[in-house]
Amino acid sequence: MSERKIGVYVCQCGGNISDYVDVERVRQAVAEDPDVVVARTAMFTCSDATQQEIVDDIKLDDLDGLVVASCSPKLHTFTFRGVARRAGLNPYRYTQVNLREQDSWAHTDDRAGATEKAIRLVRAGIARTRLLEPLDPTVVETVPRALVIGAGIAGLRAAIGLADIGLGVILIEREAEVGGHVRELGTMYPHDRQGQELISELLGEVRRREGIALFTNAELVRKGGTFGNYEVDIRTRGDSNMTRRFEVGSVIVATGFDSYLPEEGEYGYGIPGVLTLPQFKKLVDASEGPLVYGDRPVRSVAYIYCVGSRQGESGPNQYCSRFCCTSAVHTDLELRAKSPRVHQYHLYRDMRTYGRYELLYNDSREKGSAYLKFAPDTPPEVQRRGDGRLEVRVHDQLTSQREVNLEVDLVVLVTGMVPRSNQELIQRLKLPVGRDGFFNEIHPKLRPVETVVDGVAICGSCQFPKTAGESVASGLAAVSWSAAMLKQGRAELDPQVATVDPDLCTFCGACTEACPYGAIGQQDLGGGRQVAVIDPATCKGCGGCAPLCPEHAINVLGYTGREVEAMIESLAAGVA
Amino acid sequence: MSATLQPDLAERVGMDPSFNPSACMNCGICTAVCPLGLRHLPREVFAYVVLGMEGEVLQHQEEVFSCLLCKLCEVSCPAGVHITENVRALRHYFDRNVFHIEGR
Ligand SMILES: Cc1cc2nc3c(=O)[nH]c(=O)nc-3n(C[C@H](O)[C@H](O)[C@H](O)COP(=O)(O)OP(=O)(O)OC[C@H]3O[C@@H](n4cnc5c(N)ncnc54)[C@H](O)[C@@H]3O)c2cc1C
Ligand code: SF4
Ligand code: SF4
Repeated sequence: MSERKIGVYVCQCGGNISDYVDVERVRQAVAEDPDVVVARTAMFTCSDATQQEIVDDIKLDDLDGLVVASCSPKLHTFTFRGVARRAGLNPYRYTQVNLREQDSWAHTDDRAGATEKAIRLVRAGIARTRLLEPLDPTVVETVPRALVIGAGIAGLRAAIGLADIGLGVILIEREAEVGGHVRELGTMYPHDRQGQELISELLGEVRRREGIALFTNAELVRKGGTFGNYEVDIRTRGDSNMTRRFEVGSVIVATGFDSYLPEEGEYGYGIPGVLTLPQFKKLVDASEGPLVYGDRPVRSVAYIYCVGSRQGESGPNQYCSRFCCTSAVHTDLELRAKSPRVHQYHLYRDMRTYGRYELLYNDSREKGSAYLKFAPDTPPEVQRRGDGRLEVRVHDQLTSQREVNLEVDLVVLVTGMVPRSNQELIQRLKLPVGRDGFFNEIHPKLRPVETVVDGVAICGSCQFPKTAGESVASGLAAVSWSAAMLKQGRAELDPQVATVDPDLCTFCGACTEACPYGAIGQQDLGGGRQVAVIDPATCKGCGGCAPLCPEHAINVLGYTGREVEAMIESLAAGVA
Repeated sequence: MSATLQPDLAERVGMDPSFNPSACMNCGICTAVCPLGLRHLPREVFAYVVLGMEGEVLQHQEEVFSCLLCKLCEVSCPAGVHITENVRALRHYFDRNVFHIEGR
């Protein structure tokens, strides 16, 4: 039996755990276990005071292993690794046991059972900790340059931010012109500035910075290399079809959205005079004075909201596109300024002019626009009349479900945002795509622009529907994230990766095929002997390869075969 | 049954510049606090005015004239609707168009 000195801390989580688990009993049960030198409970183990207490214990008793039984490792692994590091204990000799999500919250009706389970979970943690070896993080050098994909408002602003903190930037845009959707817009909310103008200003700023290399008609065709030092191949079309290779430390994806295109017949789409919001916005932007459509003056307009968004049973898009209520209301005001006599009717489901955009909604109502509310199960119907005018029938929830019949010159379908089709890029970068088709961050609050792919962040409306301001804010968040990583010149990678024992490996190839990250290569040991070798900078330690190896030659450091077996034995002890 | 809309009704009813039924955001607080328990005035009748549903407005003559002008709704209204002024404008509208009484 190994001679180890382990400290065990059982957390009450302020009742989250202790209401359903007898933490004192858990402490007593393991306090006398072999190798356990200290065993304590705490109200909040993550509090500064308790963290300091653990640091003191480690130093005083010269502990060489640490177990904290509290919440999910997703939350506090890094917290307690930090505690170990501060006390001079190797952080990888720490085990987090999850007594909250995996025990107390799951068994609120069975205190005795939950307590018994807690004891087993903690013992398994101790069993692993007994065997843990110190590990040192892999240190990689990082290239002080970022690739920004997509030069919409988010990508342009991110490129400028990166250059201003001294990082090199490769900015690529698939189209011939930069600016994305904002380039197409006239007057925008909330500042009433012209979209085209904003984009040419940003483009001027980009051109003024030597650190930014902008390529239009350009796409990423390959990403190789390893974290901190990716090799990216950029192909440009046009007079010169060529591919250039760059080394970059991070990649920021800012590829934006597409506007929803209604199907033929959806709310009368296809009938002359039934327009989408982008089409109508263009018409209003371009008009000087009273609005005219197809040679006829426009005297009345009906807007139908939530087209292509919040579809419920009727389509795949379940989300709110967020910008469209405000955009429709803002366009109403823009039109009213040009054609004060136009009657405008808004057929909405819920007004989501959030925050200060509420003021635009107030303004539009106060100036006389009418708002009617329809229920999703009785959507408005649009028809063309004999005389060419349009008829919209709606059951208005604000006037006791009265059927209201609007005769109008134009119908505007307030269309939302959909994910831009970008299949090749998704494959090349292995981007995580959510159920709604937009790209996924790791955590919406704690890590809002990072993806699960190391060194790759997302920002702007490719992540979820955003206004231009929100897109820029997330672009700048991606800049800070890049700076935190690249300005140091080096990054530490988790050393808990898979390794191959070359004495056992016969290079059957089972593992190379299985690795989702392509981390496993081949090494020639001489004398015709080939073995598998795993690149620690590419391996994510997922463990997918280890069980496939027929020779048991692969171990994930920190979760070796021995360590996992010891945990299982301890969990199942005494169970027939 | 569906109504024909008179888009200029709001202007015909409210000649006073303070007339502002369209500022209403349809929260319903006014109906909740009305001591007479009026069901359609002010919110729904105002909506008929804004939409131009003249027939519906005319059907609510009794509510328009039963209002006490106590202003309980008006002080509670979060949207700053001049409720009692608007009700008075509606009464003038009835005077002119239904009872044919001219002058103010
Ligand atoms: C009608 C309408 C009115 C609007 N009005 C307003 C308003 O008044 N105020 C406001 O705040 N917001 C408004 N918006 C929302 C605004 O358009 C978006 O918030 C903004 O465009 C998001 O910017 P972005 O850079 O994320 O995406 P985008 O504008 O979509 O730009 C993405 C860019 O990436 C490029 N790209 C895509 N894929 C690749 C690839 N694989 N490789 C290289 N490049 C690629 C695209 O070509 C594009 O140039 C409006 C939207 C619409 C539709
Ligand atoms: S912002 Fe408004 S129109 Fe757009 S989807 Fe959301 S609720 Fe519907
Ligand atoms: S309280 Fe004001 S805003 Fe609310 S429904 Fe009544 S009039 Fe409209």
